[in-house]
Amino acid sequence: MARWRERLRAFLFPPEADLWLGLLRIGLGLQVLLYTLSLRADWNYLFAGPGEGLIGRALPEALLSTESPLVPRLGWLVMLATRIGFSESTALSIVWWVLLFAGCCLVIGIFSRTSAILAWFVHLCAAESGGFISYGVDNFMTIGLFYLMLSPLPGRYSLDQRWRKLPPKDPQLIGFFRRVLQVHLCLIYFFGGLAKCLGSGWWDVSNLWRALIRPPFNVIAPEILIRLKNVFPVAGIAICLLEISYPVFIWNRRTRGIWLMCICAMHLAIGLTMGMYLFASIMIVLNVAAFGPGLRLARNETLVRAALS
Amino acid sequence: MLRQQRVYLAWFVLHFLLIITISCRDIVWLVAHKLTILPAPFRAAAQKVEPIATALDDKLSASNPLRRALLTYLHIAGIDRGYGYFAPNVPSGYKLVFELHCPDGRVQYELPGVNSAAAGLRVASLVDEIGRTNSDPLREYIIKALAASAWREHPGVKTVRAVFGSLNLPSPAEFERGKRESYDFLYAYDFSRAEEPAKAENH
Repeated sequence: MARWRERLRAFLFPPEADLWLGLLRIGLGLQVLLYTLSLRADWNYLFAGPGEGLIGRALPEALLSTESPLVPRLGWLVMLATRIGFSESTALSIVWWVLLFAGCCLVIGIFSRTSAILAWFVHLCAAESGGFISYGVDNFMTIGLFYLMLSPLPGRYSLDQRWRKLPPKDPQLIGFFRRVLQVHLCLIYFFGGLAKCLGSGWWDVSNLWRALIRPPFNVIAPEILIRLKNVFPVAGIAICLLEISYPVFIWNRRTRGIWLMCICAMHLAIGLTMGMYLFASIMIVLNVAAFGPGLRLARNETLVRAALS
Repeated sequence: MLRQQRVYLAWFVLHFLLIITISCRDIVWLVAHKLTILPAPFRAAAQKVEPIATALDDKLSASNPLRRALLTYLHIAGIDRGYGYFAPNVPSGYKLVFELHCPDGRVQYELPGVNSAAAGLRVASLVDEIGRTNSDPLREYIIKALAASAWREHPGVKTVRAVFGSLNLPSPAEFERGKRESYDFLYAYDFSRAEEPAKAENH
């Protein structure tokens, strides 16, 4: 029992450097910037109050209240700003600027913890008030920002650390949060892959073809795609196997590099061929932060061992 | 193990138990509703398991503090849904078109529009939600809100007819034979200036 407990502790609390945390902070900062800038022209239109904008945020917020009145939403921030005397439109613009500012701070690593909390909170408000207009990218951004906010910030690669000369954080705690992100990614890919494997369309041409020609993901003309029809069954099966086997091969030092590269290539391809750039970038950021650092170390370690032997 | 590490361990276990439960619940739902390639015995088993998977949802009332605390945590951590994107199969999608009837008899056609591609993906997600929902009032509410936004862009329009349809995508073989995407009519709603309820028309 004591041995089992020690192994569990060694797995969950490995002493780690904070390179991965730096990558996560900068990556999520850039993601927040891309998110806000990509919605700049439509921000007020998407999140307007009742009787304005696309569908308004009244219904999603009302439905959210039936689940829990404690989930953050834009309505709270707008109410606060209107009490001070701002109009609803100005309040929404302020929220957009706050999110942009938080993203910038995360990238350069200034006020890291406060910025992480601010980015998580404001993005969560937008994602929850968006309701029907939110999709996978919001979910993964919430996950990433939630872990970032809880992690031992600021880390060595931030301006905070250089200016304030803070004492180094507990390496075991840094390692713990990396494990959390790693295990979560394994579950995401395992269940995503399992659900795909259970569908008939991923074993033949249909699902990949449909995904690529379906509006609004039809970035490439079907006349071009049809020339690749023989590639689709192989690519469909490869995606299923890549995802479902992720929890096995990403932990193995020998296969980690290739699996990480394949998964990032898959997300890059999704971004380029389906126009889902934000979705691609958040998945690449999470993967690289979780499993990227240590890859070179592993190779160097192998070389050192080989030299010693 | 240190006391602090035990606290983190407890959080880790609870957090991932929730993620696994939600992901398993989604898979069980897919199997129970015959949306997978698994044979009948698996479906029967999933149908038996499904009530257990949704027990917490069914047994606790909406105002129960434990339920609310749990749902709040799921939302703030971003773990309130599973990860079956584009799975088990890629759905066909839907389309919403507005017919804007002008006072001079002209008819203009318009899609729910936004300014950027990033927001366009969100509108597509909204249109899919309209197609997926089984709630007629919810569908009507969203379409009415979208029609109102189209009306604000074209204040001179007399009436608006919202036509909602499902998309039929050709297979690669059908595409090679010349078949292209088509739409099946599902619903139509007529909106006029007066504050009248929408007149719905089903397929």
